[in-house]
Amino acid sequence: MNNIRWTIDMEISRQRQGEERHFEVFRLEVDPNEYVLDAIERVWAFHDRSLTFRHACHHSTCGACAMLVNGVEKLTCITPIRTVTADGGKIRVEPLRNFPVLSDLVVDMSSLYSNMEKTNFSQVAPLDQSYLPYEEKPEADEVERLVDCIECGMCISACPGAATSASYLGPAVLAAAHHVYLETGASCLLDLVDSKDGVWRCHSAYECSEVCPSNVDPAWRIMDLRKRIIHQRVSSWFTRKERA
Amino acid sequence: MATHEPTRADNSRSRVRVELGERSYDIRFYHDEPDALACDLAPYCPERALIVSNPTIWNLHGEALASALTRAGVDFIVELIGDGEEFKTLAHDLALRGFPVIVLERGDIASGTSGRTHGLLHSGSRYCVTDGEAAVECIQENIILRRIAAQCIEFNEGFFVALDEEDLNYAPQFVEGCRAAGIPVHPLTPQQALSVEPNLNPNLLAAYRVPDGAFDPLRLALSFAATAKRNGAVFLTYHEVKGLILRAGGVAGVIALNRHRGQEVRLEADLVVNATGAWAGIIAAMANIHVPVVPTPGVMVAYNRRLINRVVNRLNTPGDGDILIPQRRMVVIGTTSFETPDIDYIPVDENQVEEMWRKAVELVPAVANAEQRGAYMSARPLIGSGEAGRSLSRTFKSYAHRQNDGVSGFITITGGKATTCRLMAEKAADMVCEQLGISAVCRTAELPLDSYRTYYQSMDGDAIE
Amino acid sequence: MRLFQDRPSWRNFLRWFIPLKRKTGSWAFVLNRVTALGLLFYLCLHLVMLYQLAQGPQAYDSFIAFAKSPIIKFSEMFVIAGGILHGLNGVRIILNSFGIGVRRQKVLFYSLMTIAAVGISFFAYRMFFGA
Repeated sequence: MNNIRWTIDMEISRQRQGEERHFEVFRLEVDPNEYVLDAIERVWAFHDRSLTFRHACHHSTCGACAMLVNGVEKLTCITPIRTVTADGGKIRVEPLRNFPVLSDLVVDMSSLYSNMEKTNFSQVAPLDQSYLPYEEKPEADEVERLVDCIECGMCISACPGAATSASYLGPAVLAAAHHVYLETGASCLLDLVDSKDGVWRCHSAYECSEVCPSNVDPAWRIMDLRKRIIHQRVSSWFTRKERA
Repeated sequence: MATHEPTRADNSRSRVRVELGERSYDIRFYHDEPDALACDLAPYCPERALIVSNPTIWNLHGEALASALTRAGVDFIVELIGDGEEFKTLAHDLALRGFPVIVLERGDIASGTSGRTHGLLHSGSRYCVTDGEAAVECIQENIILRRIAAQCIEFNEGFFVALDEEDLNYAPQFVEGCRAAGIPVHPLTPQQALSVEPNLNPNLLAAYRVPDGAFDPLRLALSFAATAKRNGAVFLTYHEVKGLILRAGGVAGVIALNRHRGQEVRLEADLVVNATGAWAGIIAAMANIHVPVVPTPGVMVAYNRRLINRVVNRLNTPGDGDILIPQRRMVVIGTTSFETPDIDYIPVDENQVEEMWRKAVELVPAVANAEQRGAYMSARPLIGSGEAGRSLSRTFKSYAHRQNDGVSGFITITGGKATTCRLMAEKAADMVCEQLGISAVCRTAELPLDSYRTYYQSMDGDAIE
Repeated sequence: MRLFQDRPSWRNFLRWFIPLKRKTGSWAFVLNRVTALGLLFYLCLHLVMLYQLAQGPQAYDSFIAFAKSPIIKFSEMFVIAGGILHGLNGVRIILNSFGIGVRRQKVLFYSLMTIAAVGISFFAYRMFFGA
């Protein structure tokens, strides 16, 4: 039905493993309602089969296709072309920041996954625990759902703290710890994040919540964790006195 | 693994014993002494050795090691090429049976059809009237997957809803078909259905509850891959198969391109399994074999509101746009069916997207108040001889090319759906055993899968840090 | 964990100060750092001034004459502005760290910056036009 076609330039970051990166430009005709990931796939299919990029579900449930689009973190499968450029314009695509680049647009996410694993974060949770505490929860009987965090890594890419500290757990992991803490109340999670590489590394840039495509709100969760940690510390002073 | 003392001289420079969970490992270090390694290794595994490497190292040292092992004993390497669910589950099955396995994948895990599957954990009731065999397979695998892969499945069951007379007329056959296939089915009044799913079309005439579920396609694949990796399978993602090594009337390995580095690698194997789904015909053609795969894409559209908590199906014979699935904070409608020659890139057809929207709104009118979040195509690997899409069999087929086409060292498995991925792997692994003259029992139905995240805890081909 | 960002680099350093394409939170973050550096610089100057004071009345008087020059007065505006901005934004950060106002951090930022603007204007008026 929609036969509008734009001519755009895709400026894509290229690098073979271990080499320096450079940009290559590909001119495409696209439907502006298509998604940036479609354009990247088009470049691979018709212009350069050596382009490497990660993608799987194409509908924001897997988190694989996160990249930098015009300098901002985006989930490329749900980012329509018309929201990032205009006819005759350019789209600059780069891999996520703060992760080692394996080649082109593919990054090594193993640090994120190892850290997430430490929190015991489960992808499936009861419906009423899948939402942020301040959200209005839908009424439902015992139903479960796949939770919000799709482990895309965009929050870590956008975080200035993660840019300069490799040991920082990062917003995604802290948010996951918060989620599990709310579900289980296990205080070992508070201990996990109560460190200089945990919640205290955050300096309130709030970019994580800005770029999150999935309603996780890591910034709020990090501050809520701080509140809870402080509360736990303060009340632990009083309980000790009581015992004495 | 047996722990007996070596009967020959111990040539290693240094050794370390490591306990990991219930198992303990003897780790020995050899500095450019392949013969010493082979000599020490032979008594432990007189039948076969597992070689785990990355292409660069293999190119440098592989030949020396391989010939040393051959002089000292016999070595086997089994390789897999493939995309999607089938080969991760197959790697898992083979790894559990003790085969050394290498998996090659052109992109990343699930970057083909399996990543873009609708995400429906079939109860089988969709096929109970038209394809009883598929229905039985589905319900059995549904139960197994819920047991072994619960980490990425949201199981809230599903409804089949009747919206008009034609749907209602289908109901008796539907119920009968479910019962025949062993699928639990419960009728609901419209009021009952609406009370748990208030966004359903208020004009629905009848509803039936079946054990459908929804899953995350990437994480299902990753959980199989993670478990296979822990059991010794090697995953070479971003390795595109460019050709097969043909020798003496058979396939003896693959020639692949490491796309991260732009370097070619040659991998020798005793058996190559072609589990590439919609691309199976293309790979088989590299050995001059014809495999009748008909890539049959369909469109899927995701909307930005979670309007239902259960899968909602149209009560009728399988048709276009008759399944609406909840997925996180979205609902996803699918799908259509058409043939296409080029499966590497299938553009989204606006007309089909419109049609899907109409179908979704019939089932759940509130979709009209939601916005489109994503739309995508993916190519089913149907088997057949080119008839119209929906009448092709959806069960899978495995081809033993030695018997069928006189080409040894090569088998193909294709077709199927995500819900039956484990079963396809079992049959394929059975065929691998038969081709190699080995008997080993399948254990994948009982073994819960590792956390999908552990797949990434070491990057493919590298040592664990 | 082998991450490449352990190496300090100019690119990452600059990212701390140039929040192009980033949102309000990042701009506030940068503002806090720039004002902090400015105030630190002023602190050093202040210590120099105190040193002058310790040199005796003549050194002090000549320093004060210098301090009343328009350039210095103008620069002092930046100090006052920096102090107010840094202080008020700091209040916002402290509140947020206790879980207060996190979801309204943007509104909080703009309100406090408005107060800051009022405060700065008041001081500017007093400095240049007041008694």
